[in-house]
Amino acid sequence: MRNRLVVQLVDFDLAAEYRRLCELDGAVGAVVTFCGLVRDCEQQAPIDSLTLQHYPGMTEASLGDIVASADRRWPLHGITIIHRVGELLPRDQIVFVGVASGHRAAAFQAADYLMDYLKTRAMFWKNVAHGGERQWVDCKDSDRQAAHRWSQDPKRQ
Amino acid sequence: MIKLLFFGRLGDATYAAPEVFEASVGLTAAGVRDALSSLYPALGRALFEPQVLVSVDRVIVDWQQPLLDGCELAFLPPVTGG
Repeated sequence: MRNRLVVQLVDFDLAAEYRRLCELDGAVGAVVTFCGLVRDCEQQAPIDSLTLQHYPGMTEASLGDIVASADRRWPLHGITIIHRVGELLPRDQIVFVGVASGHRAAAFQAADYLMDYLKTRAMFWKNVAHGGERQWVDCKDSDRQAAHRWSQDPKRQ
Repeated sequence: MIKLLFFGRLGDATYAAPEVFEASVGLTAAGVRDALSSLYPALGRALFEPQVLVSVDRVIVDWQQPLLDGCELAFLPPVTGG
């Protein structure tokens, strides 16, 4: 299967995911990967943990929509998205995005696009624990603006 | 009965949201939201925030979507993945 979309509790192996994308097809000339980590502070306050909630079934469908839209925009050989859920600790890996294409421009742009849309359209909700209290994380305006630029600037399509 | 799901901050225990809602002829997602607002004012204020979306059986729908007995109605605040 060309594209791989996974929502899981357990950690992932960056090197193994990279290798899988490299080996998809002999025409792959560029693989761009991104890995998001849990920061040890949120809004300048240290955190104990970060819990990600998702809506089983609907979250996977939202990832499928995002990947399909990237596939329509760029000539890609394969996309991998792995998003973790459950309780994570500072420095844990949260999300992996990998894109394989013939040339680097498409892979860089598609990875950037996928992360922007993951932030604003994928069905995940973050809850931060610090000092014995829990707080839901609000969607950032900067994330919304980052996603919005893809529909504003035709040169980026 | 209609199964209710509340995600993110909408599911906070402080709102004491119910898990089910009795189905009736002509009931819509907006109708459920109105009824919940009368019974649980704090939850109602959160549900009426403009960025809250609603889904039926895991598909995002308009608030005027009619609801069938046995469906799953979910209230979805803005997402924060990645």
